[in-house]
Amino acid sequence: MSGEEEENAAELKIGDEFLKAKCLMNCEVARILDHKYDQLQQMSADPTNQISQVFEKSMQYVKRFSNYKNTDAVRQAREVLSRYKLAEFEVWPFFRLKFPRHLVTFNHINVHLQLCVLGNLCPDTVEEAIAIVPSIKSKGRKLEDDAIEKMLHDLSLIKKFE
Amino acid sequence: MFFHITLERNMQLHPRHFGPHLRDKLVAKLMKDVEGTCSGRHGFVVAITGVEDIGKGLIREGTGFVTFPVKYQAVVFRPFKGEILEAVVTMVNKMGFFAEAGPVQIFVSNHLIPDDMEFQSGDMPNYTTSDGSVKIQKDSEVRLKIIGTRVDATEIFCIGTIKDDFLGVINDPGVTA
Repeated sequence: MSGEEEENAAELKIGDEFLKAKCLMNCEVARILDHKYDQLQQMSADPTNQISQVFEKSMQYVKRFSNYKNTDAVRQAREVLSRYKLAEFEVWPFFRLKFPRHLVTFNHINVHLQLCVLGNLCPDTVEEAIAIVPSIKSKGRKLEDDAIEKMLHDLSLIKKFE
Repeated sequence: MFFHITLERNMQLHPRHFGPHLRDKLVAKLMKDVEGTCSGRHGFVVAITGVEDIGKGLIREGTGFVTFPVKYQAVVFRPFKGEILEAVVTMVNKMGFFAEAGPVQIFVSNHLIPDDMEFQSGDMPNYTTSDGSVKIQKDSEVRLKIIGTRVDATEIFCIGTIKDDFLGVINDPGVTA
């Protein structure tokens, strides 16, 4: 098909698009998919035969694993996570020189991802946060334990008062 | 992990669609062609959120088809090696268990399940600790780490582990909160 690059089944090529992409927390995706589903419902009488299995499975998944249910809480959560200035630097120019594409893994790619993983998994303790996102201690702007503790505390408050 | 990214595609349109609703027809065709598909590069395209730009159409020699370069934004799901996420168990057998996270299937081999968990066969096959306190069975929610990904023609398949710290069952369907 014109426009598509050849895909190699043996190695996963990471597209350039990801290094500038915005990663989304499950709760944010839930809102987007809900909105899309409403649009489909308005456009045709039977939306169920229009939605793909991928869409349906994703919608079920994000609804089940959403931590923040209402719009305000989602916005606040993202704001809290951004406030702690988890590093958002562009890594692609650096990696173009050093790594062949297919070796770029999650920890390298985009430290902006830390935000979403923490938002999705909602760790209770600092130790847990460091275990699931090791890069908050090792890359870019390192966060001190107190800062991490405060951030997790803020997140749990949002959830409590949702 | 879900991402919101901008993608490009060349769409071919048959002359029968040319007219006042050309753009709508193009967007409809784009949605039909792309939504729900999967590629190794972008992962699963879950939903198209908007069309950013439609370039000038180029008439192809010999046929009347016109090719339009379309730039659009979409929500995609792309699992990465090293990512930690939550999934729902769909099947358990003595080799390990299968779990689903959105559109992607993840297999956790019994070698990557903590040693203190044993396979129990039966009506509801499961993995249980020796004291019965933790159980993994169909519909359990688990937190796992992706350690490898493989791309097929139409889907991405992952293998994961629950052997590290802070991984494993999140909630047990058999236990009330």
